[in-house]
Amino acid sequence: MAAYNIVGKGVPRVDGPDKASGKAIYTVDVSLPGMLYGKILRSPYAHARIISIDTSMAEKLPGVKGIVTGRDLRDVRYAFVDTPHYPADEQPLAVDKVRYIGDEVAAVAAESEAVAEKALALIKVEYEIIPAVFSAIEAMRDDAPLVHDEQLEGTSAWEEWGVTKRKNITASSYAANNVSGRTFVQYGDVDAGFEEADHIREDTFELKATAHCPMEPHAVVASYDAVQDKLHVWLSTMGIFLKRFFLSKTLNIPASKIRVHHTYVGGAFGGKIDLFPYEFCAAYLTIKTGQPVKIELDREEVFMTTRQRHPMNITVRTGIKKDGIITAQDIKVIADNGAYRGSGPVVIFLCHGFSFPVYNVPNYRYEGFSVYTNNPIRGPQRGHGAPQIRFSIDSHIDLIARDLGMDPLEIMLKNARKQGDVIPNGDVLNSCGLTECIKGAAAAIDWKNKRRQFQASPASTGRFRRGVGISICSMFSGAMYYPFASAAIIKMHDDGSATLFTGAQDIGQGSYTTLSQVLAEELGIGMEDVHVVAGDTELCPIDLGSFLSGTALVTGSAVKLAAADAKRQIMESAAELLGVDNIGELDAFNKKVFQRQSPDNYVTYQQAIQASVLRKGGNPIIGTGSYKGYEKTDRYPSLSKGKGLFTGAYGFAAQTAEVEVDTWTGKVKLLRACTFHDCGYPLNETIVRGQIHGCSSMGQGQALSEEIYLEEGQLFNASFLEYRLPISTDTPELVDGIVISQEPSGPFGAKEVGEGSVAGMLAAVANAVHDAVGVRIKSMPITPEKVLRALNNPT
Amino acid sequence: MKKVIKLTVNGMEKELLVDVHSTLLDVLREDLGLKGTKKGCNQGECGACTVLIDGNPVPSCSLLAVKADGKDVLTIEGVAEAGKLHAIQEVFNEKGAIQCGFCTPGMILVTKKLLDDNPNPDEQEIKEAIAGNICRCTGYAQIIEAIMALAGRKQVR
Amino acid sequence: MRLNEFDYYDPATLEEAVELLNQKANGAIIAGGSDLLVALKQKLQTPNYLLSLDKIPSLKKVKFTENKLTLGSMVTLDDIIKSSLIQEKLPALKQAAWEVASPLLRYQATIGGNLCLNTRCRFYNQTSFWRSTRGPCFKTGGKSCHVTGTEERCYAAFCADIPPVLIAYGARINLAGMQGARTISLADFYNGEGRFPNVIAAGSGEILTGIEIPFPQTGVKSVYRKFRLRDSIDYPLVGAAVALKLDAQNKIEMITLSCTGTASGPVNIKSINEVLRGAVLKPEAIWDAAAAAAVELHPLKTSLVSPRYKRDISRVVIAEAIATAGGVTL
Repeated sequence: MAAYNIVGKGVPRVDGPDKASGKAIYTVDVSLPGMLYGKILRSPYAHARIISIDTSMAEKLPGVKGIVTGRDLRDVRYAFVDTPHYPADEQPLAVDKVRYIGDEVAAVAAESEAVAEKALALIKVEYEIIPAVFSAIEAMRDDAPLVHDEQLEGTSAWEEWGVTKRKNITASSYAANNVSGRTFVQYGDVDAGFEEADHIREDTFELKATAHCPMEPHAVVASYDAVQDKLHVWLSTMGIFLKRFFLSKTLNIPASKIRVHHTYVGGAFGGKIDLFPYEFCAAYLTIKTGQPVKIELDREEVFMTTRQRHPMNITVRTGIKKDGIITAQDIKVIADNGAYRGSGPVVIFLCHGFSFPVYNVPNYRYEGFSVYTNNPIRGPQRGHGAPQIRFSIDSHIDLIARDLGMDPLEIMLKNARKQGDVIPNGDVLNSCGLTECIKGAAAAIDWKNKRRQFQASPASTGRFRRGVGISICSMFSGAMYYPFASAAIIKMHDDGSATLFTGAQDIGQGSYTTLSQVLAEELGIGMEDVHVVAGDTELCPIDLGSFLSGTALVTGSAVKLAAADAKRQIMESAAELLGVDNIGELDAFNKKVFQRQSPDNYVTYQQAIQASVLRKGGNPIIGTGSYKGYEKTDRYPSLSKGKGLFTGAYGFAAQTAEVEVDTWTGKVKLLRACTFHDCGYPLNETIVRGQIHGCSSMGQGQALSEEIYLEEGQLFNASFLEYRLPISTDTPELVDGIVISQEPSGPFGAKEVGEGSVAGMLAAVANAVHDAVGVRIKSMPITPEKVLRALNNPT
Repeated sequence: MKKVIKLTVNGMEKELLVDVHSTLLDVLREDLGLKGTKKGCNQGECGACTVLIDGNPVPSCSLLAVKADGKDVLTIEGVAEAGKLHAIQEVFNEKGAIQCGFCTPGMILVTKKLLDDNPNPDEQEIKEAIAGNICRCTGYAQIIEAIMALAGRKQVR
Repeated sequence: MRLNEFDYYDPATLEEAVELLNQKANGAIIAGGSDLLVALKQKLQTPNYLLSLDKIPSLKKVKFTENKLTLGSMVTLDDIIKSSLIQEKLPALKQAAWEVASPLLRYQATIGGNLCLNTRCRFYNQTSFWRSTRGPCFKTGGKSCHVTGTEERCYAAFCADIPPVLIAYGARINLAGMQGARTISLADFYNGEGRFPNVIAAGSGEILTGIEIPFPQTGVKSVYRKFRLRDSIDYPLVGAAVALKLDAQNKIEMITLSCTGTASGPVNIKSINEVLRGAVLKPEAIWDAAAAAAVELHPLKTSLVSPRYKRDISRVVIAEAIATAGGVTL
């Protein structure tokens, strides 16, 4: 491996000083002259027809400047998944019926929040409550109420990108039995595979919805400039170009007439991708009123209406040989996507996508359904499907190991995919450190000594009992989704320093810093010489956005190419000054270009840039680079068939957990969590560790305490008091191992690190609890109540 | 109903006419433009809006501004001196204790109080001191590492 | 989640405060305010004015005499935690104060506020929007309780940490009203009503001014044991306070037990004294007594855990509290 000067080092974050001193501006901090405050009227009912909406009283209230209802927006539709087969099913404001508690009905803009709140109370909505359905399995029954019975056309927002329209789409064809999406994948000969097996086991698992909980609540400021005919927006998002695309489609104004401005993002975790009704309404109301409009959601609205992780029922059936070689696997997934499709068809595709890169299963069948219910809408959340599928599969593998009297580690190592494997869709694992991850995580937890399973007398009578567990996982490093690619522009200054223009959003994961490091390393300048302009659709080139874990690989590659481009131009200018014909004889480092053979013969970047301006037609040197979401394909893979190429590189991780179970109360304390993550190459070690810790912590919460508590579609714990995120005193000893596999397509070998290792924590903890006290909890989260009940009623 | 209150904010004396139903958080952010104090939950559960009042950390969303009358308030904007970051701010950044930054102002102020009272807290004392400040990004490990470093202690592994 | 408008008064004397409270309709007393502000934002209460006790110096006094501690109602929990004398004389009070909410709230929260803490319920502690789905419960003016579905009373649970400890210590409280001052036992302050759980909430027009806590006799051990899901922020699912004294033969001479988190007020388990007095503290006796006591707690589904789990936990928490006070390992 080459020695680097800047990448690989834990250099401090470039945004750190702003954030540490309170100077960092987030969307909620944006304030404009004459700004109005918007509020959203929401449905208190899970399923109801709207008979009438009367806004006349509210309109008369002094200080109210604009009101919009679904009547004004009858034809506006959009969705995260918007294909001819799965037509967009969301509307900014409900038109004929409301489908979940929190569904948007009207929006008001007023001179103050207080007036806006009063105006909401004056809007009279007459509802007719109709039967509702709250579980995916019940929703699939023939007699279940239909959440979506409207007629849609088979259009797509992506038609200008080559997607063809489809005729004859009807409600019964896209949402029969409330099924909003289906993925079916099969390869090998599944029946033969099961016949070949010495042992077959089937288990069913259940997972509850969980919340993202970014500390910054969602907000938007929109300001329409009628003179310039330009809409300016500030919003808390993971992808500025995707938001602009959605706003352009829904408002029916050209993308270039919308400018998304930069703000810092106070955490996202997948919950700030979709276009949200409040964003659309702010934009609509600023155009209507001519005044800037700000809408800030309160914490309850964030919990209720900004998407949650999909609750799922997952059945896994596996055939295995006595020696631990898997011969066949059959997986069924039912995901509740709530009142609108959200990312339903994506998550059932991804459950497959995060299942099959892990174990080499020769005969495999996967079927997933996403289903409408009258619950809150579900969308992407860190790992997007990975926690659910990895929890189920690796809990199941642990149980199989017990059946066979084997060490689960052995089964994992025997079946784990390896570098060079071509997985069934055609993706090649050019880098895969999964085996090293498993070995590292096991050693870090002292697997052989701590696993009670191997101890002569595993049963203990003490109150507090300890055990260990393991799980492994995988994650994409970017994929094909609008705008399909990232680009970077590097503007050289005449003192030899550089400004990077990137559309990437730093949502806390540190991309401004790691991208700066890539730039500095490639260009041969110091971190102090890099300036970042980011997150502005007007100033910055397109970017995939900070989701699907693509920033390091995709945007990082674009930045590296742009830096190389700038460097080449500097060298060409320097070559003339140095009297060298071939720039291949030159090297550049520390803002100097020198002759490799005689390093004393050099010019500074400053001299080279100035010479370029003076002698090369005024060229001040601007480097550009671009990189596609997945170099090898132009198309998004088929969600329903799982065909096509998925991602350029898979990140891998193995996670082990040691728990202590209080057998009197059922409380599980996570003592130690060890994550070994194959991130290709760590561009910034401190940041990589931070991503691993953040993932582990989120996984810990989802394994032990986090759960959206719903009764009849009503969310009972929309607060940090009752929705229990881990707090400081829950922090286990976190051990992190960085496995370097050098992904050939990644910048300096880097790939995904920000999402995968949420997923392994769930089964690692569940397996550790089983190891400690001999009970198996198959539903997430593992609350003290469930553990105590299982201990009291051993089956 | 409005009331005149006097506050010393980051060393500057302020006399303000405030609505009696304004929280201190509202007054700091809206009246004084001190947007570094963040509103995370608005019900005293997350700690993002923490400021020091007479040296003690208090979630400013849970305190009426009128109740702070006559008190000394330190917000995140007052921690750096003469444009130079405080050691807590420097070390937080060096150790990776900052990710999205939204909990950071509150976390830094609580740390300041902790270290003002006890320059050498151990790991358990650190965890207890920040137990009212929720961070979703870091899993707390690098925050604890940063405070350990400030306290001159090595984390026990 | 904004505050409605209200008026605000912070009189400098107790007399003025009492007069204001009784003359102006629909007021709410604000002490630290950390709990009240959430209730106001959720529109659980819509007072015309707040009566602040901030400017009344006498309410912030801490007074130790030979045999008792007198705390003004505005003494903060942080003051209690930091007092070495309280740690020495009334360790369970310090323990309970230290376990209230999160460290950030304890600088502001007061002892009086904790004693007057409203009852809590999964149907009640919600925003006005949330509550509009089901309509008002009994506590918010509706016909019946959402927990039981039918009954015309409120079953919201009392979740304050400090009252059971002070009841176990036999504390008395001072109230000031239009008829003057009176002192009652803290146990009598609570009426077991979920809707208006104490005499002030029930409309007595009085202000809680102070708490008198007698120092336990020599040899009395006191313990507060709180069970919650996280070690900070959370209210107790169950809390148990025990004060007990062993005689020279290591037999129980006296024991008091008071619990929080399960019913509409602190539950004082009087039978515990009959069950355990004269007994030698052994694990089996403790478990039996704890199981018998737990039966008296009758939790309902007021929080997100099941009543059954609360019962199971109550037994453990009570047993732990007794064992710790008695110096016995379970």
